[in-house]
Amino acid sequence: MAMNREQTAGASIRISRLEKRFGNVSAVDGVDIDISAGEFLALLGPSGSGKTTILMSLAGFEFPTAGNIVIGSEDLTYVPANKRNLGMVFQNYTLFPHMSILDNVAFPLKMRGVAKPERYARAEEALATVRLAGYGERFSSQLSGGQQQRVALARAIVYRPRVLLMDEPLSALDKNLREDMQLEIKRLHAELGITVIFVTHDQSEALTMADRVAVLKDGRIQQIGPSRELYERPANLFTAGFIGEMNFIGVTVESVGEAIAVSLPSGEHWNVPSTSAVDPLQAGQKAVLAVRPERLQIGGEGAAFAFHVKLADIVYAGSALLLIGHLPDGTEIRARLPGASDLSTLTPGATAVFSVPKEAILLYAGGAK
Amino acid sequence: MKPSIDKGSLALGTYVYAVLAFIVIPLVIVIPMSFGQNDYLEFPPKGFTLRWYAEYFSSRQWWSATSLSVEVAFLTAICASVIGTAATYAMVRGRGRLATLFQILLIGPIIVPHIALAVGLYLFFQTIGLSGTVPGFVLAHTVLALPFVVFTTTAALGKVDASLEAAAMSCGASRFSAFRLVTLPLILPNVVSGALFAFIISFDEPVVSFFLSGVRYKTLPRRMFEDIEQNLTPIIPAIATLLIVLSIVVLLGAHLMRSRTKN
Amino acid sequence: MTSGIRSQFWHSDGRRLSGLSTLLLLLPFFAIIAFVFVYPIGQLLWISFTEPKPTLDNYARVVTNPVYARVLLRTLWTAVLVTGLCVILGFPVAYYMSRARAAVAAFVGVCVILPLWSSVLVRTAAWSFLLQRQGLVNSGLMATGITSEPLKLLYTQSAVVVAMAHVLLPFMILPIFGALRSIPDDYMRAAAVLGAPRFRTFLEVILPLSLPGIASGSLLVFLTALGFFITPALLGSPQELMIATLVSQQIREVLDWPFASALVGVLTLFVTLLALIFSKTLRFDRLMGAQ
Ligand SMILES: Nc1ncnc2c1ncn2[C@@H]1O[C@H](COP(=O)(O)OP(=O)(O)OP(=O)(O)O)[C@@H](O)[C@H]1O
Ligand SMILES: [Mg+2]
Repeated sequence: MAMNREQTAGASIRISRLEKRFGNVSAVDGVDIDISAGEFLALLGPSGSGKTTILMSLAGFEFPTAGNIVIGSEDLTYVPANKRNLGMVFQNYTLFPHMSILDNVAFPLKMRGVAKPERYARAEEALATVRLAGYGERFSSQLSGGQQQRVALARAIVYRPRVLLMDEPLSALDKNLREDMQLEIKRLHAELGITVIFVTHDQSEALTMADRVAVLKDGRIQQIGPSRELYERPANLFTAGFIGEMNFIGVTVESVGEAIAVSLPSGEHWNVPSTSAVDPLQAGQKAVLAVRPERLQIGGEGAAFAFHVKLADIVYAGSALLLIGHLPDGTEIRARLPGASDLSTLTPGATAVFSVPKEAILLYAGGAK
Repeated sequence: MKPSIDKGSLALGTYVYAVLAFIVIPLVIVIPMSFGQNDYLEFPPKGFTLRWYAEYFSSRQWWSATSLSVEVAFLTAICASVIGTAATYAMVRGRGRLATLFQILLIGPIIVPHIALAVGLYLFFQTIGLSGTVPGFVLAHTVLALPFVVFTTTAALGKVDASLEAAAMSCGASRFSAFRLVTLPLILPNVVSGALFAFIISFDEPVVSFFLSGVRYKTLPRRMFEDIEQNLTPIIPAIATLLIVLSIVVLLGAHLMRSRTKN
Repeated sequence: MTSGIRSQFWHSDGRRLSGLSTLLLLLPFFAIIAFVFVYPIGQLLWISFTEPKPTLDNYARVVTNPVYARVLLRTLWTAVLVTGLCVILGFPVAYYMSRARAAVAAFVGVCVILPLWSSVLVRTAAWSFLLQRQGLVNSGLMATGITSEPLKLLYTQSAVVVAMAHVLLPFMILPIFGALRSIPDDYMRAAAVLGAPRFRTFLEVILPLSLPGIASGSLLVFLTALGFFITPALLGSPQELMIATLVSQQIREVLDWPFASALVGVLTLFVTLLALIFSKTLRFDRLMGAQ
């Protein structure tokens, strides 16, 4: 594979009908993703959902059972890892302990036959990019976790790969470092224009960093889209529950027309706009009404979308107030209100009225869990 | 198009199994040879007979060598595990003032070649009349086995929280009953496997036995040595087969015991 | 202060034993080591320096007499060959075992460890069957037409080297395996994704990281090989003695105690010195069942 040093921009990636089985476990089960050049994609999902397996197939450590992977214009499905020319950052730094930092960063260039002086010059340059100029003489044991991960980053970009793969690169770091590194990675992504695929199980990390997020479960893509879309309009109940906090209320659909009429367990009847329905609904069926806790407002008796909740607990958490209550059928309802709200009239055991703006209502087919 | 198996792994696999054959064949080869009819060893052996086993079991000399070895190994296992466990307990729970000396003396019998110890003991035991006696063999083998007992028990004792014993003592147990009722049961599997180690080390020990054996008292390895040196008859493969079977039985037993204690 | 120390000596505090009980528990250990190990070896060393009169003559004889000097060199050379052979045979096995699936690794592991549980005499005897004139090796060589008549294999130095390598191989494989196993898989993955072909990964990453294991295995095999007795005594030629067989000959046939003691002294001091120098490399707790 010819390597064009000038071509620093990212490559597009097309993953089609990817399947990987281990014995009778289906780790990846028919995944299609199109990633455009220079995009930052996060793979998000619970443990065992197949994130690592997809990344390993991209990197060439696992050959898929079916499907193929095209990067740029080349089908790389069965190309060995060392011929793919991708960058990769691992969870546990994986700096070679017997080499100095500079030798670590120069290693991929050595493998590509770059002459020594140029190799070291470029390695120094890459270290400077991750703001570790002058650390080349040290060994990995003399660096902090965050510094080690920055070196790993430098090592992964020094040969200017067009794609950078990262498998939970920040999960070994503590919270503050993790935020620094998130910025660092964003900055590098912007500077180099490289395509990034970033595996994480931290949803806020995925939502803040990525252009698009792919949510996985049991080896299947549940939803793929920009953060905002994922949060504002989850495509199904799994994503709705997986991303952020969500109240799920079991309702019965009474009629479907201009608007959808539903009845709540607390006895109210709402005429929800038909745009709220994510799934097609029919009169008489059970459905789930979903609404984010921070979209609930206190008061508004008589509003179009108001309901009664028996309060169980009021928790003061600094910037916000958390109200926990129940509907008559036992459904738990949470509301997050601004910390400064005046709730002097409300006590646990009292019945409160909440109202919801109509654009915050989502309706899914199926019964509540 | 999927890649096929690459030549590198194939070559490595072939080489590795050739080396494994080199390791295992000399052990396995003695088994068929022990059933050969002829007085001399040949391969492939001709005929099938249990004569060599019969000869081993009916020979007074072989029996006395075997029973001496078993007796010595048994006593060695007891001495080494008692002395070794006591010393380990003292080192792990004590105040560690003698640690360096202890380490050096522990490692000594492993580092110093057995031939040196054998010759030294040969001279020393002759002057005090321990040469060729059961206590002589047991003392010598205990020294050789001690390090291994200490290694296995240290590993276990290190994992037993010292405050368990403190808790037992706060319930009124004496130091000794705290050890016997709390710590010992927890480290028992390792103490037993240390004793097993000691048994095998003693039972198989050829060098020191070679020098300490008298005309009358010979251990099994010493008898085998003579037989191999002088006249290689199929009785050696027969004994070797019995020893291999024995060690497999012991290994399996130890394995079963360990998996039982895990559950 | 002193009262504190004294009370520590008499009383245990629940976690720590008192000094007195520590001493009592250690007494049998120190007694037996002193009586059955330190004293007899010390006595030999004493003899080697003092008989027939206080002298270094016994040692001078070991080094200057060409017959004995050759025994020393042969012993060293044999130990070097055995160590080299063990590395060549053992490293690939350890590597294979460290990368294989669990079931395969367990099978290889059993094959490697099984010999440790069978006596050195059994293994040496097996080699003498294999290498005799009508033995399996000769029949094999003749069947494949490599030679037309049986070779003299038994009672040669090559027989000794091969059989000693066979006996000591587990002590090479296990430490190397330990070192290889502690290299995380991600290191190989990282090397591959950074562009290293398999052989380069091996050379640049795996080999350097397994060096401590190789060093520890080599030292172990080398030191043990220097003092080997049974195998050279049974498989070697009486004309080609090694130091241990020479000691045995001096004691049992020539009855020259001062000289034999000096030989033991040379061997013991050399081995101890090496072990001290490389005590970091030798991981004693890893040794299980030796010689
Ligand atoms: N080598 C393997 N052999 C057998 N099963 C495997 C193997 N690798 C992964 N699996 C299985 O495939 C499924 C997906 O695993 P994968 O590691 O891709 O999940 P993940 O999303 O990365 O999870 P995590 O967040 O825990 O890292 C799991 O059920 C896992 O048990
Ligand atoms: Mg994973």
